[in-house]
Amino acid sequence: MTTSGDAQQRIDAYLGRLRGRLRGANDEEIREIVAELRSHIMDKAAASSQVSDEATGEITTVGVDAALAALGSPEELASQYMTDTLLARAEVSRSPVQILRSLFRWASLSVAGFLVLLGSLIGYSLGVILMLVAVAKLFHPQTAGLWILPGGSGDYEMSFRLGFGSAPAGGRDLLGWWIVPIGWVLGGGLVMLTTSMAVGFVRHYRRSLVLP
Amino acid sequence: MKERETREAAGDKWEVQLRKGCLELAILAALWDGRRYGLEILRRLERDSDLIVSEGTVYPLLSRLKALGLVRSEWVESEAGHPRKYYALTGVGKRRALEMTAIWAQFSSSMRKLLAPLMKAE
Repeated sequence: MTTSGDAQQRIDAYLGRLRGRLRGANDEEIREIVAELRSHIMDKAAASSQVSDEATGEITTVGVDAALAALGSPEELASQYMTDTLLARAEVSRSPVQILRSLFRWASLSVAGFLVLLGSLIGYSLGVILMLVAVAKLFHPQTAGLWILPGGSGDYEMSFRLGFGSAPAGGRDLLGWWIVPIGWVLGGGLVMLTTSMAVGFVRHYRRSLVLP
Repeated sequence: MKERETREAAGDKWEVQLRKGCLELAILAALWDGRRYGLEILRRLERDSDLIVSEGTVYPLLSRLKALGLVRSEWVESEAGHPRKYYALTGVGKRRALEMTAIWAQFSSSMRKLLAPLMKAE
């Protein structure tokens, strides 16, 4: 298969624009996507040069232009890849990082996505804080935990403390050592619950989408 | 004149949505009897069905099917000089394809009953 220099340039320009827009995928995936599309463009262009055997067809700029036109704009194509793959990954993976990435993408597309993202961030944050306090208690037994402190005008406020610094005057550690199992279990449970709910919402959203 | 154009455009849009909805099953079906690479899948779809498939939708969809675990892929060298990415159904993919086919069959037979009088009227 011979390719004219000009044709090669057009292919590279197209794939360059595509690569620039592909985000949320790792390097290996991006390389595979680009390689697959390059292969497709070359096969298609060669086939259209009216030679019976693809393997010896010549790739001309005309063939390449037609192949690129059939693929559509690289920006649109990249957008399609990201939506499809990220949403699919959120469904199968239970990793909060993966799910959050997909939610960020969804949030940029709709208000519902934004709300689910917000809710998930809150759920994850609370869960992580609870787990952190449980762990901190092991290192700062005297100062970490769920504390209740006297506020300004006679009322009280509660706060989770990681225990850096000294114990606040007049305050009381509410749960003592119980914060360790409670924080860990509750925090872990909250993380898992947030994951399940986020996945559930993503699934519901995918079903309501008409396939692109 | 303009009103008729608008109505026709709306009809076309429904058809586009309908074709898109079938694409996932169509791709799984195209892979049923063996592994194929992207362009082969496109040609098979064009040859065996009335689906007019835009290439810009098939490749991302293949990527999604892979992320869902329904297909797997492998790179194979070709005489053309560049490697091609072949796709094949996984066990899960085969089961899912059968499930979707059953749903499709049920759906289309339900519609057929409803549409029978309209078909006679044609």
